[in-house]
Amino acid sequence: MDTTFSQWAWLIPLFPFAAFLMLLAFGRGQRMLGVTLGAASSFAGLVLSILVLIEHMTDGTAYYQYAFKWLHFGSVTLNAGFEVTNLTAIMLVVVTSVSFLVNVYSAGYMKDDERISVFFSYVALFSFSMLGLVLADNMLTLYIFWELVGVCSFLLVGFWYSKPEAKAAAKKAFIVTRIGDAGLLLGILLLYWYMPDHALDFVRIGNVFEGNTGVIAAGVTTWIAVLIFIGAVGKSGQFPLHVWLPDAMEGPTPISALIHAATMVAAGVYLVARTFDIFQASQTAMDIVAYVGGFTAIFAATIGVAQNDIKRILAYSTVSQLGYMMMALGLNSLTGGIFHLFTHAFFKALLFLGAGSVIHAVHTQNIHEMGGLGSKMRITTWTFAIGALALSGIPPFSGFWSKDMILHTALQEKPFLFVIGVAAAFFTAFYMSRLFFLVFMGKPKGDHAHESPSSMTIPLVVLAVLAVVAGFIQTPWNDTLGTWLTDGAEKAHGGGGLVMVISAAVGLLGLYLGWLVFVKGTIARDAVSSRAPWLVRLLERKYYMDELYEMLLVRPLRGLGLLLNLIDDYVVDGIVRAVGGTAVLFGRGGTRLQSGQIQTYGLVTLLGIVILIAAIVGRRFW
Amino acid sequence: MFNFNFSGEFVAFFVFAVMIISGAVLMVSFAKVVHMVVSLAAVFIGVAGMFVLLEAEFLAFVQVLIYAGAVSILMIFGIMMTKHQEADAEQAKPLHETLTAIGALALFGILFYAIRQSDFPEPEQALAQGTDNTMEIGKLLFTQYVIPFELVSVLLTVAFIGAIVLAKKEAE
Amino acid sequence: MLSSYLTMAAILFCIGLYGALVKRNAVIILLSIELMLNAVNLNLVAFSKYGVVPSLTGQMFTLFSIAVAAAEAAVGIAILIALFRARGTVNADEYDEMRR
Repeated sequence: MDTTFSQWAWLIPLFPFAAFLMLLAFGRGQRMLGVTLGAASSFAGLVLSILVLIEHMTDGTAYYQYAFKWLHFGSVTLNAGFEVTNLTAIMLVVVTSVSFLVNVYSAGYMKDDERISVFFSYVALFSFSMLGLVLADNMLTLYIFWELVGVCSFLLVGFWYSKPEAKAAAKKAFIVTRIGDAGLLLGILLLYWYMPDHALDFVRIGNVFEGNTGVIAAGVTTWIAVLIFIGAVGKSGQFPLHVWLPDAMEGPTPISALIHAATMVAAGVYLVARTFDIFQASQTAMDIVAYVGGFTAIFAATIGVAQNDIKRILAYSTVSQLGYMMMALGLNSLTGGIFHLFTHAFFKALLFLGAGSVIHAVHTQNIHEMGGLGSKMRITTWTFAIGALALSGIPPFSGFWSKDMILHTALQEKPFLFVIGVAAAFFTAFYMSRLFFLVFMGKPKGDHAHESPSSMTIPLVVLAVLAVVAGFIQTPWNDTLGTWLTDGAEKAHGGGGLVMVISAAVGLLGLYLGWLVFVKGTIARDAVSSRAPWLVRLLERKYYMDELYEMLLVRPLRGLGLLLNLIDDYVVDGIVRAVGGTAVLFGRGGTRLQSGQIQTYGLVTLLGIVILIAAIVGRRFW
Repeated sequence: MFNFNFSGEFVAFFVFAVMIISGAVLMVSFAKVVHMVVSLAAVFIGVAGMFVLLEAEFLAFVQVLIYAGAVSILMIFGIMMTKHQEADAEQAKPLHETLTAIGALALFGILFYAIRQSDFPEPEQALAQGTDNTMEIGKLLFTQYVIPFELVSVLLTVAFIGAIVLAKKEAE
Repeated sequence: MLSSYLTMAAILFCIGLYGALVKRNAVIILLSIELMLNAVNLNLVAFSKYGVVPSLTGQMFTLFSIAVAAAEAAVGIAILIALFRARGTVNADEYDEMRR
C-alpha cells in the first residue's frame, strides 16, 4: 500500500481554500486576480486529482487514509482526517475538472460583473467545501463540509442579491436543504449512539454494517439509513425537497452548472454511495431510496416538458437525472449510480454552460423568445447538441451507457421501476428536443446574437468531448468501472441487448416527436394544451408543489411565527420591559431620595430608627 | 410611679417643666426668629432650674451663663447677620412635616414606654448631702479631669479661632 | 422622681428633633440642636443624682458637653454666616450640594 500521490490528496481542497483566503484578503478591486487565482488553484487541484486517479487506476487496491485526533472526551475520541478510495478518487476528478472548467468559463461570463473577485472567492470556497466533503474520512467531518457546501450555495445562488427573486431563491435553497441537513444530523447522532466505540469513520461503519453482522439492530439500521437519505434528499433535490433546485437558477449560470453537475447535488448521491454499507444492510431503506428516486425521475421529467425557462428545464432535468442515480443506488447498483453521476456531471455541466452562452448572447431565458441561434453560434450549438443527445440517452454518447446500465439493473430487480425509468427517458428526450429545436432552429427572433468569447467556448468543447467519451469506461462489454469501484463485488450486467434497444428507441422516439412538433409542425404545438389545458397548467405549475408547500407549511408556519412574535413582543418583551421598568423606577425613587436635603435624610434616619426599634422591641410581643 | 406628694421639689419641678415645654413648643411654633430665641432662652433657664433641683448648682450657673447668655446672644448675632424671610411658606412640605411629627411622636412613645418599663433601683446612698458640690467639681476638674479640662480649653480656643476665620469676609 | 426627669428630657429631645427636621431656617435648626443637647444634659444630671451610684461624674460630663456645645454653636454660626454670604440664603432646603 505504498502510495505516492494519495497521501498528498489533502492538498487538493487546500488549493481552492488558499485561493479563497487570498481573494478575501487582497481581492478588492483586483479583477484579474480572481480569475487567475480561481483558475490556477482549480487547475492545480485537477492535476493532483488526475494523478491520484491514475494511481488508483493502475493499482486497484491503492488506498490511503490519515486521521489525527481532533476531540477527545471521556472514552470517546473523534478523529478528523481524509481517506482516498477509488470512489473518492473518481469524485475528486469530477469535481476538480468541472470546477476548473467553470472557473475558466466564468472568466468570460462574469467579466462585466463588478463583484467578480467576490464571485471567484465564493466559487473557490465552494470547491474547497465539496472537495473536503469528498475526502472526509468520517461522518462528522463530512457533515461540517456538507454544511459549508450549503452556505456556499446560499451565497452563490443569492449572488445577485439586489434581485428579489435571487434573494428568495437563496433563502429557499438554504431553508429547504436545512430540512435535509437536520435529517442527516439526526442520522449521524443515531449512528454515533449505536456504533461500537462511537466510531464515525467510514471504514468502521463499513465493517459494522457489511454483511449484516447484527451489531446494530435492523430497525435502527433502517432509521439511520432513512435519516441519512433525508439529508441526501435535501441536497440532491429529490422529491419532496426538490423545490429549491429550479429556483436556484436565479444564481449566475456557471454556478448553476457547478451546483448541478459537480458539487451540491452530487453531494447527496455521494453521501448515499459513501454510506452504502448502511443502506445495503436494510432492504427497507433501499426500497425507499429506489422508489423515491424513481418517482422523482418521472415527476421532474414531466414538469420539464412544460417549462419555458431554459435554465429551469435543465434544472428539472437535473432533478430527474438525480432521481435516476438514487434509483440505481436503491437498486443495489453502486456502480450505476456513480457512473451516471460521472457522465451526468460532464453533460449537465456542458448543457448549463451552453445555456449560459445562449443567455449571454440573447439576454433572455425564455425559450420562446429565442430561435435560429444555430447559424450564429456554431460551437455552442454543436456542443449543446452533444449534451442534449447524451442527456437523452442516444448511443454512443455517455448518457446512453449510464442510463442503460441503470435501466438494466431496474429490469432485473424491479420491473416496475424499469417502466418508470423508460417513461422518464422518453420525456427527457422529448423536452430536450423541444428545448434544442426552439432555441437553435427556426426563425431568428433577434439579430444581435453572437458567438461567445473563447474562454467560454473552450470549456464547452472540452466538456463535449468528455460527454462523448466518458461513457466508454463502463459498457455492457467492458466492466472496468464496476470492478474497479466495488472491488469486483458487483456483477456486470452484461449483454442486455433488449434493454439497449428499448432505451435507445425511446430516446429516439422522444427526439422524433419533438422534431415533429417543433420543427416540422406535423403535430400542432397546442395539440395537448387545447385538449387538456388542465394537464398543461398542472405541469407548468409544477404539480402545484410550491403552492402546496405554501398552503401546508409556509402559511401555518408563518402564522405560528406571527403568534410567537406576538408572544415575544408582548409576553417576553413585556417581562423584560417590566424588569427594566422596575429597575428604572427604583432608580427614579433613588434619585428622589437622593435629594441633597439634609432634613429629608434626617427624617428617613428617624423613621428607620423608629421602625428598627419597633421591630426589635415588637418581637417581645409575638 | 407618679405618686403625687406635693413636696417643694415637685412643685418646683412642675413649674420648670411647664416653663421648658412651653418654651420649646413656642420656639418651634413662633414665626419670628427673634421670638424663637427668646423662648429658647426661657427653655435654657428652665433647664438651669432643673439643674438646681438636681443639686447641680454649679452646672445651673454655667447653664445660665453659657446657654441663656452666650449661646442665645450668639444666635441673635447670627440672626441679625443673615437675612430672614419670616415664615415664608413654612407649610411648603406638609408630607415632610407630618412624617416628622409622626416620627418624633413615635420616638417619644418608644422612649416613654422604655422609661415606664424600666425599673430604676433606689440610689445606694444619696449624693454627698451637705457637701459643697461646686467645690467638689472644682477639685475633680483639677485632679482627675485635668487633662480633659485642658483639652477642652484647647478645643474652645481652636473653635473660636476657626469660627472667626470662617465668618470673616475673605480678603479681596 | 427619676422617671419624671427622664420623661421631661425625652419631651425636650423630641421637640428639638422635630424642630431640627422641619424648620427651614438654618439658625433655628441650630437652636433645635441646642435643645436636644440640653435634653441629654438633663438626663446626665438626673442620673448623677438618682442613679444607682450617685456621683459627680455625670455633672462633670455635662460640664464638658456644655463646653463642646458652646464651641459647636460658635462654629455653626460661623459656617452659617459664610454660607449665607456665598448663597444668599439661610434656608436649609436650598443647601442641596450633597445631591451632586
